Amino acid sequence: MDIPPPRPVLDPTTARVEREFKHVRPLIGCRFDPSGRFLFATAEDDSVQRFDLLTGTRTAFVGHTSWARGMAFVAPNPTAAPMDASAWQKAQAAAQSLVGFGVAALPAPKAAPFTLVTADYHGKLIWWQGDSDAPKPLKTVAAHDGYARAVAVSPDGATVASCGNDQKVKLWKAADGTAIRTLEGHESHVYNLAFHPNGTRLVSCDLKGVVKDWNLKTGKSERDLDAKILTKYDPGFMADIGGARGMAFKADGSAFAVCGITNVSNAFAGVGNPLAVTFDWDSGKAKQLKPKDAFQGTMWGVAFHPGGAVLGAGGGGQGRVWFWKGDDPASAHVLTVPANARDLALSSDGARFAIAGSNGTAYVYNFSGTGPVPQMPKKK
Amino acid sequence: MLPCNYACNTADHATTRRAFLGSAVGATAALGMAGFANPAHAAELKKAQKRVLVIFLEGGVSQLETWDPKPNTDTGGPFKAIQTSVAGTSICELLPLSAKQMHRIALVRSLNSQTDDHGVGHNVMLTGRKMEPGIVYPHLGAVSARLLGSNANALPGHIRILPKGGSGFNGADATFLGPKFASVGLGDGKPPADLFRPGNLTATEDDERDAFRKRLDQRFAKSRKSAATDAYTESFTQAERVVKQAAVFDVDKEPAKIADKYGRHDFGRHMLLARRLLEAGVTYVKVSHSNYDTHHENFDFHIEQLGEFDRPFAALLDDLADRGMLDSTLVVVMSEMGRTPRINDRYGRDHWGRAWSVALAGAGIKGGAVVGKTNANGTAIADREVWSGHLFHTYLQAVGLDSTKNFYPNERPVPIADPKAAAITEVLA
Amino acid sequence: MSALSRFVAAVALLAFAGPILGADPLHARIDKQIAAGFGANAKHIAPRAGDDEFLRRVYLDLVGTTPTVAELNEFLADSAKDKRAKLIDKLLASPGHARRMAWHLDVMLMERGADSKVPRAAWEAYLVAAFAENKPYDALVRELLSADGSDPKTRPAAKFFLDRNLEPHAVTKDIGRIFLGRNMQCAQCHDHPTVDDYKQADYYGIQAFLNRSFLFPNANVPTAVIAEKAEGDVSFMSVFDKNKKLNSTAPRMPGGKPIEEPKAEKGKEYKVAPAANVKPVPTYSRREQLAGAVTSAENKAFARNAANRVWAMMMGRGIVHPVDVDHGNNRPSHPELLNELAAEFVAHKYDMKWLVREIALSDVYQRSSETPAGLDDPPADRYLVAIMKPLTPEQFAYAAMQATGHTDAERAALGAKWTEAQLDARLAPRLGPFRAMLGRGGDATADTFSSTLDQTLFLKYGSAVRGLLTPRAGNLTDRLNKITNPDAVADELFAAVFSRRPTADERKDVADALKNTTDRGKTINEMVWALVASAEFRFNH
Repeated sequence: MDIPPPRPVLDPTTARVEREFKHVRPLIGCRFDPSGRFLFATAEDDSVQRFDLLTGTRTAFVGHTSWARGMAFVAPNPTAAPMDASAWQKAQAAAQSLVGFGVAALPAPKAAPFTLVTADYHGKLIWWQGDSDAPKPLKTVAAHDGYARAVAVSPDGATVASCGNDQKVKLWKAADGTAIRTLEGHESHVYNLAFHPNGTRLVSCDLKGVVKDWNLKTGKSERDLDAKILTKYDPGFMADIGGARGMAFKADGSAFAVCGITNVSNAFAGVGNPLAVTFDWDSGKAKQLKPKDAFQGTMWGVAFHPGGAVLGAGGGGQGRVWFWKGDDPASAHVLTVPANARDLALSSDGARFAIAGSNGTAYVYNFSGTGPVPQMPKKK
Repeated sequence: MLPCNYACNTADHATTRRAFLGSAVGATAALGMAGFANPAHAAELKKAQKRVLVIFLEGGVSQLETWDPKPNTDTGGPFKAIQTSVAGTSICELLPLSAKQMHRIALVRSLNSQTDDHGVGHNVMLTGRKMEPGIVYPHLGAVSARLLGSNANALPGHIRILPKGGSGFNGADATFLGPKFASVGLGDGKPPADLFRPGNLTATEDDERDAFRKRLDQRFAKSRKSAATDAYTESFTQAERVVKQAAVFDVDKEPAKIADKYGRHDFGRHMLLARRLLEAGVTYVKVSHSNYDTHHENFDFHIEQLGEFDRPFAALLDDLADRGMLDSTLVVVMSEMGRTPRINDRYGRDHWGRAWSVALAGAGIKGGAVVGKTNANGTAIADREVWSGHLFHTYLQAVGLDSTKNFYPNERPVPIADPKAAAITEVLA
Repeated sequence: MSALSRFVAAVALLAFAGPILGADPLHARIDKQIAAGFGANAKHIAPRAGDDEFLRRVYLDLVGTTPTVAELNEFLADSAKDKRAKLIDKLLASPGHARRMAWHLDVMLMERGADSKVPRAAWEAYLVAAFAENKPYDALVRELLSADGSDPKTRPAAKFFLDRNLEPHAVTKDIGRIFLGRNMQCAQCHDHPTVDDYKQADYYGIQAFLNRSFLFPNANVPTAVIAEKAEGDVSFMSVFDKNKKLNSTAPRMPGGKPIEEPKAEKGKEYKVAPAANVKPVPTYSRREQLAGAVTSAENKAFARNAANRVWAMMMGRGIVHPVDVDHGNNRPSHPELLNELAAEFVAHKYDMKWLVREIALSDVYQRSSETPAGLDDPPADRYLVAIMKPLTPEQFAYAAMQATGHTDAERAALGAKWTEAQLDARLAPRLGPFRAMLGRGGDATADTFSSTLDQTLFLKYGSAVRGLLTPRAGNLTDRLNKITNPDAVADELFAAVFSRRPTADERKDVADALKNTTDRGKTINEMVWALVASAEFRFNH
């Protein structure tokens, strides 16, 4: 495996499937660990799966008794250096050529220790040793009444934040899971949250598209930002649809993004259009990022690529990954992925992204430009 | 078959002409002769006036997210099962308040309604019949109003409270039982327009003109009188009684404390209105709750919808019990179908009539009973398969009716419930 | 049967059933037959209706509305001995009669089902035209049962089949009920258990005329037409038959002989062979035999039922009652009269207007509906007292418009050159709410009438009636507002709404109401409503 260094400017047309991890049950969420070596994916069998991109091994994290989606990592500070996959692989290849195939492979290098926190439908947060060979729940916290939809870890690794259907945002000590504070103010299910990179603020977004900007010193919301374009009360079915299915901050803190579904004409069939909304941090000004294709479905994940582009992933009848560059509100590139993308993960160095497939497969993409060209969406 | 003489001129026959909406006595000669109109039976019914409340979860509620959870299976979804007030019976966590009422509720977990279609399912569940050419069967509401209704009450016997839309009389659901048993629909719980005196007609004027009409009618009746003219003039008296009772339709007359218990949202208000109507003597009320047709994001939507359902449902059972009405009111929670055990790629569940559940409570129901079961992941019935015909017999028998008797529209015997099915006696008290 | 032998048979029947030379006119024979059935009650029969009572009744029955005040006054003032006969002829000749009969036939044939494939306007225009030219009833029914909907000119006639989607059981049942007076629904599954006359084979005999027909391209297409295949037979099995024997029948009318069918030559079964998106045309059409078979003189049930239905329309109940339950266990109240009506109807070439006229001329029709002293609960089937008929929704709507002076106001607005057609075009649009509300479940007869809560509230508070009460130039409230003398108010009010003079008591009621009021206009409005909502107005008495 020979991966070129991240390009300063992302070329989305070079995205290729690097790896597929098939699981027996549909996947829900996915995240790369801070080093980028592991892809974690949650599944409909209540498990969290760890896929080792280096060795291809898979490890199940069993402990939730419900579906989990939210995942966040507490890594040693400063964050571990990006995985150097090439060194071990080169050594492995060299060993095999020397001794011949069939001999025991070189043991893979140990990963630096890190903690994984996951959140489930029963409102539980579980702390895990993320790099463990035999992972077990280290700590389980009954965090929310109802679905705990998302977790995030502060940039300094000291605080875990969670949110859920009890309309609350809660802060926990990352070290031991003790409760720090509850942030109250949302008036509907809180769907997602993210720490500002400067560590002083936390944003959260609820079902009704209300984004709150929490001052972590005071525990008060400094402002409400409007993402109501991502929500709708469907009068036909008499139910609400919306909320931030994905949320991400730009590394420099100058913007954050939320994503979901807009223009819903039929909530119960999921008829609407995927949409990402970015907010300029200082002005609070919103900008819509729309797929270039006339696609119906939900955007389940959004990420800022270090190279400057924004990625979104989602699905309806099919799966898609969209790329936006510069100021163009319409996506610059559309990638058809093999399954409904229920989440998007981007490695911290921007070298890879992955989607959690509704078909149970996690697809890991790199920007190698080699290998089969991904199928382009059919023109309508 | 009981032969019917259309031309009969008995006193019974004449009184049927005077029967009004909601009465137990038939609208037509054929019905007047049906076995149910005999006085002995009527007296029996009067002793304990029975009522029926159907809570209809429109769109097809998921049995897995309600009465038959399969947690931690490939079909179970993310929710857990919770213990109920009946040891050994668990239901989905989305119904925490209902769980505390389980000792009053009987579950049928082995319903195969044999259709995955909204319209057909709605019809099949409310008529207890498969659809056949040549005959359209009356809905449970019309059957209840016809067989349980009392002449003493002027209010309509068959009311549907709909989530939204306009209000009006004459739902197409009484078929051969006649329009007097057809439903009055209350869109968003609002009463039909003509129920209220128009704004530009004062009460005094209304009384004056009606007094004038009465005088004319009395004079007319001195020399010209028939069952039909009597029925007509009597209908104004009855209409006036309903108009006087129009406050029954005004749920704001309920104490705030009660309204709080039901929940301050539309469905809570609709359920409270249902109780108010039942208490006022309406025989049958159907409250629809919309919507459960969750092909997409089944779980999020069931959280929202069942969250709205759970409190008013539990409050209603408590309220009926507090008022001594639960023993005489059959409560049924049904839908036009269930939802697929299989979870689709949009977290949805699709249409499914093959193995799902209905809940019953109140009159004639053995609280805590659970009948039938599905297999481990809910994909098939494992025991005691029943279909809508069985349920229809069960509803009627629960309110003390003999569901094996016939109606006689146009001289032809039409069994009240499908003769190929029978009551599910295990849920009957 | 060959065409020639059919012709001979028809001539023979005609000769047999022809008018009896030198006999009394039919209306006199009606009265004889009815009088023969009085029995012990003969001394209690109601007297002849007063002129006002007769006038209102005959207007409603013949033209579907009530008379104007001027027409009332004119008739009451007329001293001619034959003024009732003259009035009957005048009404029968007026456009209002065709409209009234079209309403009646519409309900009889379509039973207020939803309009699907033939729009209401075209259908009503077709019926009005048929009655305007006094088309013989058998000819009308032949059109209804033979049109296939493919020719735009005759498509309205196909409504009977098209709007029933040609559903085999619906059309079989309704042909039996509506044209033969036989509700054979039970015979769909087995011979009728209590009615010996209704056989399963009879039911399927009718169905066999249509079993090869279907809607092309399909029933979901609003412009669908009737097409037919060249093959296919009906088969039926009694649900009571333990041996499960499958039976079949050729097309035939109940009690009649099967139609002799030509043997189709192999390969020549079709004029237009079936193919994808092609409407097939068989060489021999079963359906084409239906109209002839139903209206054939040999099929006695046809004329008998038609005569009985006209009788019921005029008299408030059938001689066979209900009109679609003609069988041995439900005897006619006056069997000979029914036979005579049927025979005369055939002899007069199915002339509906003639039959209506004869009935209207009879004493029994012109009897008062006031129950005479000493007669308690008179048996309806003896016709001792005129039966009070609930107004049909159409009659009610037109009568209410006339009574409240809405019709007068519309007529005045049209100016001196107004025509009936122009006036009707202004009135007809108001029919909708009355039909929708009062016409539910078909039309009520005297013994199936009820007024449901919504119907009564519609009359009490609904805008359709109240909308007619607001004063406008020339309408009743406007006229009454301008009259100062209370007695004159009462006279105009009762003449307009009830088509009669008020009694002294009624005049006093009106005077009292006007004397005590603080708002005269409102009181007048209230009184008009009270009359319109009263039983006297609701019924044709």
